[in-house]
Amino acid sequence: MNTLKRISPHVILSIYVLVVLFPFVFVVFSSLKESNIEIAENPFGFPKKLYFQNFVDAWVKAKISVYFFNSVYLAVTSALTGVLLAAATAFALTRMKFMKVSKVIYQFVLIGMLIPGNVLFIAQYILVMKLGILGTHWALFLPYTAGALPISVLLIAAFMKSIPSELEEAAIVDGTGSLRLFYKIILPLTLPALVTVFIVNFLGSWNEYLLANFFISKDELRTLPTGMVGFRDAFQTNYALISTGIVYCVVPVLILYAFLQEKIIEGVTAGSVKG
Amino acid sequence: MNRILRNPWIYSIMIIPTLALYTLFFIYPMATSSYYAFTDWNGLNQASFVGLDNFIRVFSDKDFINAIYNNFIFIGFSIFIQVPLIILFALLISSVKRFQGIYKTTVFIPSILSTSVIGILWGFILHPNIGPVNQFLSLFGIEPIFWLAESKWAMVSILVVNAWQWMGFYIVLVLAAILALPKEMNEAAEIDGATGIQRALYITVPLIKPIISVVVMLSIAGAMRVVDIVLVMTKGGPVGATEVMASYLVNEAMGVNPSYGVGTAISLIIFAFALVLTGIYQATFGKTKE
Repeated sequence: MNTLKRISPHVILSIYVLVVLFPFVFVVFSSLKESNIEIAENPFGFPKKLYFQNFVDAWVKAKISVYFFNSVYLAVTSALTGVLLAAATAFALTRMKFMKVSKVIYQFVLIGMLIPGNVLFIAQYILVMKLGILGTHWALFLPYTAGALPISVLLIAAFMKSIPSELEEAAIVDGTGSLRLFYKIILPLTLPALVTVFIVNFLGSWNEYLLANFFISKDELRTLPTGMVGFRDAFQTNYALISTGIVYCVVPVLILYAFLQEKIIEGVTAGSVKG
Repeated sequence: MNRILRNPWIYSIMIIPTLALYTLFFIYPMATSSYYAFTDWNGLNQASFVGLDNFIRVFSDKDFINAIYNNFIFIGFSIFIQVPLIILFALLISSVKRFQGIYKTTVFIPSILSTSVIGILWGFILHPNIGPVNQFLSLFGIEPIFWLAESKWAMVSILVVNAWQWMGFYIVLVLAAILALPKEMNEAAEIDGATGIQRALYITVPLIKPIISVVVMLSIAGAMRVVDIVLVMTKGGPVGATEVMASYLVNEAMGVNPSYGVGTAISLIIFAFALVLTGIYQATFGKTKE
């Protein structure tokens, strides 16, 4: 009876874990199979022999490489810009002595968290069209960066508030200017929060689909989420190749997650609870 | 010495880029949405004021009513099926010592992946001929089911995939709340002979009510704006079976006959629904003593 009690949570949880992991294992196996026929004949087993040609084909012929680099570079630049802008703003709002104005600005920025992203979708589309950047990476970079600002300012400001003011007082007595104070003293101290915010922003842009789908039409400029949909529609019948594409999309995030799981979980959940 | 932190130039340099970008891409679109929604603008003509026409038009379109209905199915599924399961799994994970970290880390994985990639992945899993689900069912002699092409299955499939993606995220939220509870009460109850299930139901669950409220509200907000998974897996089909408000918006505003007036009107409707529903929830079930 006691053993049963001890084991039963593990049994139920293992089933759930299996349901979560099965699709990944399945696509990894399928990506190493030669064709649909092999997948259909032997859906659950290991590939007969490891067929790596899919990885070459998907990367080169199907242009996954192009989508991949577009995604990396958009996600990194917009996340980095967002973090730096938000950090500067959070510094001004929490450490500089303009308390009244700062309060108003802070509240104003937080309004953004009430507005669900795709409510602005059409209006942002019109905006980027008017700005003449529709169909360029700017049309994604700017909304991604802007979209991340409210939550980033919120999280970084919360962190900066907790830094004791003695440190900066000492620095100021030593003759440090406020810009130097910002990047020499406050930024390094805020690093944990900056990393968290960077990860959240990075994942947000890396995974974004709606804007990427409608604001970009040139194939060479597509990111992974939209490129993959086009890829699927083009290779409808070749599931081994589609699986390979999925593996390319998923593995980088999983590698990142393997190293930074605590940070990622903390970051992704912090936004929703505090918001 | 405070002079340095009172330099208005530095203050402006630090604040203005953020404010400019945020205003341009958040506040300004919100304002223009509220304006375009009352016009007949299609991107080419002069926008002329049409009053509530756009709202009347969408509310008298039975496809849109159907889309609203589907959004409510999402909400119902989240609250009555996902939330109890989320609480159950969080309780189970909190109750074990071994592998606790592994369970937590694993269940969280789907929520950091791209919804569109997940849609493609599950499109394959649910493929009528070579998908493993049907292959598995065929072992029991069940004929292939067209999960995404048959009206009666398409919505169920989307709901399950959506749950698969997001449950882990909420489980981790609830788990963190459970693990943060003080141990004393649980231990006292255990000494008094309360079983694990009794302790979970009468001690832990009441104590984590605030976080359950958060989960419910996030689920409502999430269900109102769900769109990626629908666009990638079914495009709202078959014959509107999986159409939701946001996918209706996308098809309406970005289709062959774009109407930004109608599109922005729908945006405002989604926004209003989300505000009203979370407002109602907060005023009724979600009341916390704060």
